[in-house]
Amino acid sequence: MKKAKKLAAAILVGVVVLSSLLFTGCGSKKVTLKIYNAGEYIDKSLISKFEKANNCKVVYDTFDSNESMYTKLMSGEKYDVLIPSDYMIERLIKEDYLQPIDWSLITNADNLSENVMQNAVYDPEHKYTVPYFYGTVGIIYDTTVVDAADVAAGWELLNNTKYAGNIYMYDSERDSFMVALKALGYSMNTTDTAEIDAAYEWLVEQRNSMSPVYVGDEVIDNMISGNKAMAVVYSGDAAYMITENEDLEYFTPDQGTNIWYDCMVVTKDCENTDLAHKFIDFMTDEENALANTEEVGYTSPVTSAYEEMKNGDYAGIDAYIPRVGYEKDEVFLYQEMKVKQHFADLWTKVKAY
Amino acid sequence: MKHFKSLVRPYILWSFLLIVIPLVLIVLYSVTTGGNSLVNIQFTFDNFKKIAEPIYLQVFARSFKLGIITTGICLVVGYLLAYQITRFSEKVQGLLILAVTVPMWINTLLRTYAWISLLSDNGIINSILTAIGLDPVTMMYTDFSVIIGLVCDLLPFMVIPIHTSLAKMDKSLIEASYDLGAHKWQTFWKVIFKMSIPGVINGITMVFLLAISTFVIPKLLGGGQYVLIGNLIEEQFVSVGDWNFGSAISLILAVVILIMIRVTKKMEKMEGGSEQ
Repeated sequence: MKKAKKLAAAILVGVVVLSSLLFTGCGSKKVTLKIYNAGEYIDKSLISKFEKANNCKVVYDTFDSNESMYTKLMSGEKYDVLIPSDYMIERLIKEDYLQPIDWSLITNADNLSENVMQNAVYDPEHKYTVPYFYGTVGIIYDTTVVDAADVAAGWELLNNTKYAGNIYMYDSERDSFMVALKALGYSMNTTDTAEIDAAYEWLVEQRNSMSPVYVGDEVIDNMISGNKAMAVVYSGDAAYMITENEDLEYFTPDQGTNIWYDCMVVTKDCENTDLAHKFIDFMTDEENALANTEEVGYTSPVTSAYEEMKNGDYAGIDAYIPRVGYEKDEVFLYQEMKVKQHFADLWTKVKAY
Repeated sequence: MKHFKSLVRPYILWSFLLIVIPLVLIVLYSVTTGGNSLVNIQFTFDNFKKIAEPIYLQVFARSFKLGIITTGICLVVGYLLAYQITRFSEKVQGLLILAVTVPMWINTLLRTYAWISLLSDNGIINSILTAIGLDPVTMMYTDFSVIIGLVCDLLPFMVIPIHTSLAKMDKSLIEASYDLGAHKWQTFWKVIFKMSIPGVINGITMVFLLAISTFVIPKLLGGGQYVLIGNLIEEQFVSVGDWNFGSAISLILAVVILIMIRVTKKMEKMEGGSEQ
């Protein structure tokens, strides 16, 4: 009996010692940087390039929506660098979750487009944010299926029963409600309950009459292989899809749409701020920014990369050149917790209907 | 045997840490408000009241309907398969059971993606259909695609317990049945099937439980609008951030499952009793 106990103890101790050796073995040699970004949103070769250049290890995780990123952060997960969207950044700033950017460490700051830097309601002085990509939300459609005349309906194209069962919607509460609110002529930042309820009705009705499919990043492959006639997508994904399937066309409805900016931010949890700034600097480098925008199709805030793509790979593709300065377009603003909860609840109901 | 008792202690601690504490937390979350911070909690039953809304009850109904259909198909297909397997020699049986479990070695996600490329509107099956001059059929994002994904994923859980019961059966009972003048169907229904009931009940319980709590397969093969209980719970935790409501749904689901296990256990006992 004693023997068995001793043996068990010895094995246990052995396992504990071995595993602790293994874990610290990785940690002590190289510094790590934890990055949290949206899925399909980076040229992965840049990560290994950065690791080699700085002799560090990058832990790269992806999220499928700003909301799920926020929930994960709130559950206690720690990251060094995040790449969320404007309205989520506003929330993170308000909740004191970010640390200021030390712009003296961003040697490539001059590469960034004036235009993008000035249009930042989410962080007007760029105290916390360095732009990563920007764009709009619109509809991508298959020109071989959709009548050119029908496109003039804007967002109401999504309610044209000719295409019932032939539509993808984006599975994200804010984007879907943006579509409904804009189709009804309201602001996407409304807090008026009557307007929100009307948008909810719009989405439920659309669900009943059009039987759309709510998808995430799968929409990219599905539209490229021509599975359905149209989809609500981000401009960058649209640009990429058009290069893969030339029957596709992208437009931003006249009723107005969402203009969004995704930025790199450093969290309060980040200890190695030097490395975090190095990463941000690395991503705004002209050559790296070009490789990145070329790979994912989103519009780069780095002027030289933008110009090169506009006149090169993405020449003639409107989706790469976001509509700027249209008065009905809006940027998402911060929502009070109660409003956010209300939207989330309604969106669950639309999907469960 | 006595010395094993003390060896068990670390595992008791282990299961307490990994099973009991999370369960207590789920119960706590389900009767409070205040999101995922446990600092300023208030007790309430609103989370359970919310489940009674027709929309959410509908989700429960949909999940049960789908669970029953999946279990039914798995039972018919799985029983036939298990029965055919027992007719081979023992060596071959081992190989065939191995073949049944082979798909389980591959990640569910990969298998589900394989179904997507097979079933999608311009996928492999539809390409073949158009090549031989037939009209393409929409299969993705329908009940059909979700059920086919679930059946393929869960079939081994039905085949293996049924096969085990059938393989354990004393073959002389079948001979006796024939000797006593029963024909094929009577022998199957009154002898073979009766003897395999413990396996059948095990299979049904496992497949049904897995089918009603799944969320990956309906999400990928059914689309975001295909909301089952599992998806509803995932949504509350991942994107909505309402952990309290999510916990309440999980708790209700757990209670329902617990009751069903009790019922099937009772049924098994009753069957066993009638045999003697």
